Amino acid sequence: MNDPVCDQAGHCITCGDEAIPMQVLESREGNAVCVDSDGTRHEVAVELIGPVTPDQRVLVHAGVAIA
Amino acid sequence: MRFVDEFRDAQLGRVVVGEIVSQLEPGRHYKLMEVCGGHTHSIYKYGIDDLLPENVELVHGPGCPVCVIPMGRVDDGIAVAQHDGVIFTCFGDMLRVPGSEYTLLDAKAQGADIRMVYSPLDALRIARENPERQVVFFAIGFETTAPSTALTLKRAKAEGIANFSCVCNHVTIVPPLRALLESPDLRLDGFIGPGHVCTVVGARPFEFIPLDYGRPIVISGFEPLDILQSILMIVRQLSDGRREVENQYTRVVPREGNLRALEVMAEVFELRPHFEWRGLGFISQSALKLSESYREFDAEERFEAPGVRVADPKACQCGEVLKGVIKPWECKVFGTACTPEHAIGTCMVSPEGACAAYYNFGRYAHQKAAV
Repeated sequence: MNDPVCDQAGHCITCGDEAIPMQVLESREGNAVCVDSDGTRHEVAVELIGPVTPDQRVLVHAGVAIA
Repeated sequence: MRFVDEFRDAQLGRVVVGEIVSQLEPGRHYKLMEVCGGHTHSIYKYGIDDLLPENVELVHGPGCPVCVIPMGRVDDGIAVAQHDGVIFTCFGDMLRVPGSEYTLLDAKAQGADIRMVYSPLDALRIARENPERQVVFFAIGFETTAPSTALTLKRAKAEGIANFSCVCNHVTIVPPLRALLESPDLRLDGFIGPGHVCTVVGARPFEFIPLDYGRPIVISGFEPLDILQSILMIVRQLSDGRREVENQYTRVVPREGNLRALEVMAEVFELRPHFEWRGLGFISQSALKLSESYREFDAEERFEAPGVRVADPKACQCGEVLKGVIKPWECKVFGTACTPEHAIGTCMVSPEGACAAYYNFGRYAHQKAAV
């Protein structure tokens, strides 16, 4: 499980208010394992978008799905 | 990847540029502001400004979370980080923002336990793993980031984690936009709206732009075709005589925003009466602090910090850059005394900042054009 690093493409995506599209692999209570476009897996808090299902696409910022 | 590659199609990009040109009134100059630093970064990275006709000018807005943090708040963060036993956590770019004397990265080199995190939830995990230490999270960002801090504090409260607290510097995007629209030295024709902020707050908070100021705004995604299409939608509104909030980023932004996120934010935060913005001065009701029921997690209550306002360095013109009054290269210290390696101003620290984005991607083209 990795976090998107702060120096991705030379800048901090969290500082920059950027969000990353990811795909849900597995859902747990309040959290989900998601994969980004590079194939890296992340643990993501999904409480703010409600229950998610595998294959669902989510937008993640600072470890939290916002859409 | 789906929803990414198709929005980077160069051929389609040229077609959209052609459509933009067809909508322009001959002899008119169009000045459009991209509000969000993420857009600024994409515009320079993909050379979007080079594709546009000369009479369409993009002006960079105040939506870079790192750029708007004033030096006094950095000093407060450093003071908290230097308390005995504190583990101080913050996002990566924030470490390099200069305070009045030095940066958080310098304070780390001097021995303070300062750690970079990707999410406030990581800071909370550090607090769980170090119950004998005080763990402080230095929260920055607009409404895109504020929900993650709110959710973290909700979890901290539910779990009764007493050694966790937060220096809250979250800001809101509407008050500085209103301040810019009131500014006599800036005439804008339209806005490229901040897509990810709107994911949370929705489109409604921006309705004042067409209603009160008669300017169009199009909420935009961050891929090159998103931005080009948004510019097309703005110039179409202008040519049709319409003034509306339009949503280009419909694949992500619902009109009402993320109601659950807004609910959690309303529980955890309340508006500050005033907050200082770097280069823009004090703007009323433009930032968030922890609400009464979360006061126990407020690091500003828990630790002593100077809380002093520090004036920006005289040479730094970040204020004018943030207001779109000057272009990055028009600043006296751009690329000479102020570079990403040794930044004087915040706009050069964060790659979302107009100066760093321009320094990294745009300056060669500009130099070539000037020769």
